[in-house]
Amino acid sequence: MPDKIRTEYQEELDNLEASALGGLDLVNTALVRTLEAVEHQDIELAQIVVADDDRIDGRYLEVHQSLITLLATQSPVATDLRLISALLHVLKNIERMGDQCVNVCKVIPLTGNEPPADARMVELILAMGKQTRALIAQAKRAFAERDVEMARDLVKQDDIVDDLNRNGFRLALEIGDDVDKREWAMTMLLAARAIERIGDNAVDIGEQVAFVVTGLFREFEDASHPEG
Amino acid sequence: MLGAAGTKRNAEKGQGQMSNVGPVTATSTDPVMGSKGRTAKTIEARGVNLYYGDFHAVEDVTMTIAPNKVTALIGSSGCGKTTFLRSLNRMHELTVGAGVKGEITLDGEDIYGAGIDPVQVRRLVGMVFQSPNPFPTMSIYDNVASGLNLNAGRMSKSQKDGIVERSLRGAHLWDEVKDRLDKPGTGLSGGQQQRLCIARAIAVEPEVLLMDEPCSALDPVATLAIEDLIGELKSKYTIAIVTHNMQQAARASDLTAFFNLEETGKPGRLVEIGPTEKIFTQPGEKATEDYVSGRFG
Amino acid sequence: MTPPVQEQATVEGGALASAKIAGGVLPGWATYAVVIAGAALAAAVLLATGAFTVALMLLFAVPVAAVGLYCWSRAVEGPRRAKDRVLTLLIASAFALAMLPLISLLYEVAKRGIPGLSLEFFTSDARGVINGGGAAHAIVGTLVITGVAALISVPIGIMAAIYLTEYGTGKLRRALTFFVDVMTGIPSIVAGLFAYALFEIFFGPGIRLGVMGSAALAVLMIPIVIRSAEEVLKIVPNHLREAAYALGTPKWKTITKVVLPTAFAGLVTGVMLATARIIGETAPLLVTTGVIDSLNSDPFNGRMQNLAVYAYNEYRSPGVMKQASYDRAWAAALTLIAIVMILNVVARLIYRRYKTEIR
Repeated sequence: MPDKIRTEYQEELDNLEASALGGLDLVNTALVRTLEAVEHQDIELAQIVVADDDRIDGRYLEVHQSLITLLATQSPVATDLRLISALLHVLKNIERMGDQCVNVCKVIPLTGNEPPADARMVELILAMGKQTRALIAQAKRAFAERDVEMARDLVKQDDIVDDLNRNGFRLALEIGDDVDKREWAMTMLLAARAIERIGDNAVDIGEQVAFVVTGLFREFEDASHPEG
Repeated sequence: MLGAAGTKRNAEKGQGQMSNVGPVTATSTDPVMGSKGRTAKTIEARGVNLYYGDFHAVEDVTMTIAPNKVTALIGSSGCGKTTFLRSLNRMHELTVGAGVKGEITLDGEDIYGAGIDPVQVRRLVGMVFQSPNPFPTMSIYDNVASGLNLNAGRMSKSQKDGIVERSLRGAHLWDEVKDRLDKPGTGLSGGQQQRLCIARAIAVEPEVLLMDEPCSALDPVATLAIEDLIGELKSKYTIAIVTHNMQQAARASDLTAFFNLEETGKPGRLVEIGPTEKIFTQPGEKATEDYVSGRFG
Repeated sequence: MTPPVQEQATVEGGALASAKIAGGVLPGWATYAVVIAGAALAAAVLLATGAFTVALMLLFAVPVAAVGLYCWSRAVEGPRRAKDRVLTLLIASAFALAMLPLISLLYEVAKRGIPGLSLEFFTSDARGVINGGGAAHAIVGTLVITGVAALISVPIGIMAAIYLTEYGTGKLRRALTFFVDVMTGIPSIVAGLFAYALFEIFFGPGIRLGVMGSAALAVLMIPIVIRSAEEVLKIVPNHLREAAYALGTPKWKTITKVVLPTAFAGLVTGVMLATARIIGETAPLLVTTGVIDSLNSDPFNGRMQNLAVYAYNEYRSPGVMKQASYDRAWAAALTLIAIVMILNVVARLIYRRYKTEIR
């Protein structure tokens, strides 16, 4: 009997996984640029991010189609099947993350080309962004290494982003007392919220890691059942 | 067009040769990769109708077996896919009363043309059968070389050795049998015997390889090994496989042709042919969809 | 798994309730005991009426034993098993009955033939001898005549069989098979007369040659060879032929290089068995090879003796010492049987050695 069989199928599956996770790199790039655009109120950079989202969408469609074909032609079972199912979910998360970056970039022009009204807000958003970038990197590693503990830890890391978001809310209320700055504060709040959603998507990726490894799908943290 | 009686005139007495084939000699330029550096040939079927006596078995098939690709023929039992396959290397006419109408060409030349020797056609279009059938009186070596012994001219021992080794390597069997080439061919396991039959078929370097349910007598692991082998062979040959295992057709082929019977007693027809991906994700015909998703057998 | 239950009473419940043996089981020696008892009873009755012979005893033992076994088994094991046992007993008895003539024959021939065996028997012929002499000329003659007959029959028979299985189609093949079947039933004397008439045309009346005997035997042997070869060739699976055709092999080469080698062991066995069949034919040889006392190993030159005719002669016209002649006749018969046995054993050995396992 030859040493290895179905090598082409295995390679194809590995390639698709790499492609899908590579999408997270695209998201990371988008996020970096987004944060920079926020920091410097750079409208051109924001437009680039919006245009480049097509690449993320393209990746999604391409890998999605290949996964469907693999399902149809290779009859995967067991871990392969769970992996393909997980990758389909992860692709969706990636695509949403890209869309959230676009959401942030869309609100930047609304604030105009003036310096930011309150530096604290901007710093808060940058802090959220930095933490979210770490979340994305951790989610990617957790998936590639099938590390369930690392995946679970994503919840804690995401809590930091959530806390920052709550702080942002209070800060926005405070800034909003000043009528001139109110609109700006609301806009920044939208941006903060978008970044918080990126963090949630990263946690979802972590849940898929657990599914691949254990075969069980559990929500690590459900918005409708907040843990104490 | 040939009439049904046309093939019953004893075609064994045909004098002609296929013009694009010389006698099979072993020009071993590369002991592993093979001698002839040629591209695989295309088989085209046009309006092919097949009969067993008065019974119309296959109706009006027009399709192409593409070169360097694996074409799978699928369909329920009795729908004529094996009959059609056997008409591609003129094995169909070996059945008493069998008849062929229509045109089947190999790289443009009609294999049922007047003066074409069916024995020569079968050297160009090889076949591997459902049950492994190594010759029981011959050793493994002789089995692989039997194609050469039985039809080609004289060949030196070293030339033969080269061909045997190349064929066994090509069939992924060399490492397992290289120390027992003189043992009988029937002493191997089912999967090994089938690979031996594949080695035997490719030893004469056909242009096209036809396989009639090559894995149906094998266990799952042997089946997957043969499928891997088929994936490699397609780089050198044109391959057509009949299979009733849909997952196999999905895994192993590039193109899939779906044959069907409207009802028992009617002749089998080609319903749809297309890239395998498309047939199994979005087939064009409802009958195809019903078959591949197992809604009828 | 619980051991089989030996209770005599009704069966308990449970999944295997219907499978439990109702009642007990007779001991293993039951059948033998009943047969012996039946034989003893029959013997006793026959002795009492003064008509005792071994044959009659055995004849009556069987029905007595059958009845006794049935009653005993029915009481202990139940009606179904009782019927089983009795049927087995009757079938075994039928087999023994069929074997009886064969065993009896072998016994008689051995008993009467062994006194006739001697070195002289095997080494000298009967030339110029009034009393005594041997059967060397007959042995040689049998071997030569049968050998030549085989030499004629085998190629013709096998090629005819090849034609019938590989080339024949439809009506012609059915007609030929029919005629071959008819030929297998030709009376052997007819074959002899045919051979005589044939040679008479060329050589004139009164001709006697060893080869005429071979011709007559060949007429008898060919159909047997054809039938057995045909059966053997049919057994060669068609997918082997197809494999050869698919490699681009012409038909005749497929037959010689694939079909015949695969069928080789069966063909050889068929030939040996056909030989064993005709080796003892007497009638055709009587009218073709003649009777002669001296050793002649040339089939084309004059009369040739053979064991069958020799045995007939020694019995019909014994010399002055009748018993010696009779002994030699029986010895010739024993030799013939021995030759047939050897041929059968050799056929079996060849088959086992050369048979091809076809998966």
